[in-house]
Amino acid sequence: DIDDVGHKYYLELELEDVLDKDRTVNCTAEVLYHLGSKTSAPDVQVTVQGELRSTEEADQEFYNWIRSLEKELVAENIPDSHGNIPPELEPIHLLAWVASGFLIWQNSTENTKFHLAQIKHVKQVKRSDEDLQFDYVLLLHEMVSQVI
Amino acid sequence: MWALLVLIGAASVSAHLQDLSFDEQKVFRVLPQNDEQVEILNFLASIMEVDFWQPDSVTLVRPKMQVDFRVEAEKSFDVEGLLKESGMEYQVLIGNLQAALDAQFDSKARTTSHSYEKYNDWDTIAAWTADIAAQNPDLVSRSVIGETYEGRPMYLLKMGKSGPNKKAIFMDCGFHAREWISPAFCQWFVKEAVETYGKDTVMTTLLDKLDFYVLPVVNIDGYVYTWTKDRMWRKTRSKNAGSVCIGTDPNRNLDAGWCTLGASNSPCASTYCGSAPESEKETKALADFIREHLSTIKAYLTIHSYSQLLLFPYSYTYKLPSNYEELNSIAKAASKELASLHNTKYTYGPGAETIYPAAGGSDDWAYDQGIKYSFTFELRDTGRYGFLLPESQIKPTCEETLLAIKYIANYVLEHLY
Repeated sequence: DIDDVGHKYYLELELEDVLDKDRTVNCTAEVLYHLGSKTSAPDVQVTVQGELRSTEEADQEFYNWIRSLEKELVAENIPDSHGNIPPELEPIHLLAWVASGFLIWQNSTENTKFHLAQIKHVKQVKRSDEDLQFDYVLLLHEMVSQVI
Repeated sequence: MWALLVLIGAASVSAHLQDLSFDEQKVFRVLPQNDEQVEILNFLASIMEVDFWQPDSVTLVRPKMQVDFRVEAEKSFDVEGLLKESGMEYQVLIGNLQAALDAQFDSKARTTSHSYEKYNDWDTIAAWTADIAAQNPDLVSRSVIGETYEGRPMYLLKMGKSGPNKKAIFMDCGFHAREWISPAFCQWFVKEAVETYGKDTVMTTLLDKLDFYVLPVVNIDGYVYTWTKDRMWRKTRSKNAGSVCIGTDPNRNLDAGWCTLGASNSPCASTYCGSAPESEKETKALADFIREHLSTIKAYLTIHSYSQLLLFPYSYTYKLPSNYEELNSIAKAASKELASLHNTKYTYGPGAETIYPAAGGSDDWAYDQGIKYSFTFELRDTGRYGFLLPESQIKPTCEETLLAIKYIANYVLEHLY
């Protein structure tokens, strides 16, 4: 409890590689929730102790696949009602997860717990350069209020 | 007795089972104890057409073997008389074959059949409750404890070998519509009970000594809604006076610190506590049943998802229950049992501090009624798929959860009060 500032948390975490459950990495983090502020995201500092493995190969594969499509990618309900994700769309799901991490951080307080519930809709946006762009409509689940 | 046999024999000489309708045809299940009783079955088969369902033919019948056979309507009365006189153990397995067949074809759900490793829609689950009870009459009986807001019957399965003065454990699933793994677990539990009775010593003892009341889906209307309109719906589907918003959170609707914290009094909120405790027909039916059977119900289990938690009272207050130490050690051991299968980690503790404070929950209500072993399970996962748990995880989730449930049930059996 830091007077006139807010609440600071010191965390020790073990990260598990989503794509390789036996692979873990330890890290420490400091999270400062600002006093009373509902508009300001918490300050976060993270130190990773060890190495995160390279995803370059998987990234390249995904990039090439999207570039090879004849029409811009469009998909919805990922996962579907029964929890299924077509294998080729798994990277789209992971991308959404990363993006939602940013959104969740921006909207978190000490009284919230967010998770990505589902990708309602994703649409690839045509670009003239070589970057990929996607528009997502995401459903976020907040645990305390149970709102989606 | 032989005179009776001769009489039936004479009447049956011209019998044939070419009937196209199965009206009034009965299926009997008998247990011949000795050669004499086997002879009676042989005789029966020689004087009338008896369609053996198990074993395939009368020549395979042996003493102590369970025998199922079908006889036509006109003969069933005589057959029953004969069985009574002979002292042979028997029961009428299917009282009216045509009716049973009709029931199968009537069900709209027959387009998709039931699977324990898939998510089943309500019609399929409803049909399954009828089937599982009909197929296992010694262990399962089905009743209706009330009606949902939209008029659907709330089916309850009572599991256990019948016996006098048995205590019971009550378990429900599907309080919250979008938590699909929950009803899947209740179905799995029932399956395991009927399939392993007589084979697994723990399950056999549990079903012999205790009854299990299993309510496969509490919030049926909500469940249907997640299949037809909105996969993420949580609450019931009742209209709220003076609001366009629909539904009450059933697990904020019980009379346990009702609507004091962790619940909302706005009808539009996901955790709306309702207009009054038990305002919802579904929670009222559940509470009424438990109240009526309070003297026999010794444990209450309610299954939710997700978060991988094993919770006990209280959630409506940070105060601890009087048998906190005991509940905590049960939860600790049950979580360990669960983890032993696939290493799935559960966190356990009193609701308020372990997940969040929330008033009006069924576990707190049951506890305050005097049911001192009251637990809420939050099943897999911890957020990767959340409510959309893949069907491939149904089996492992149910298998590991069953270990925890069996542990708790066994503990209750050894600490009856």
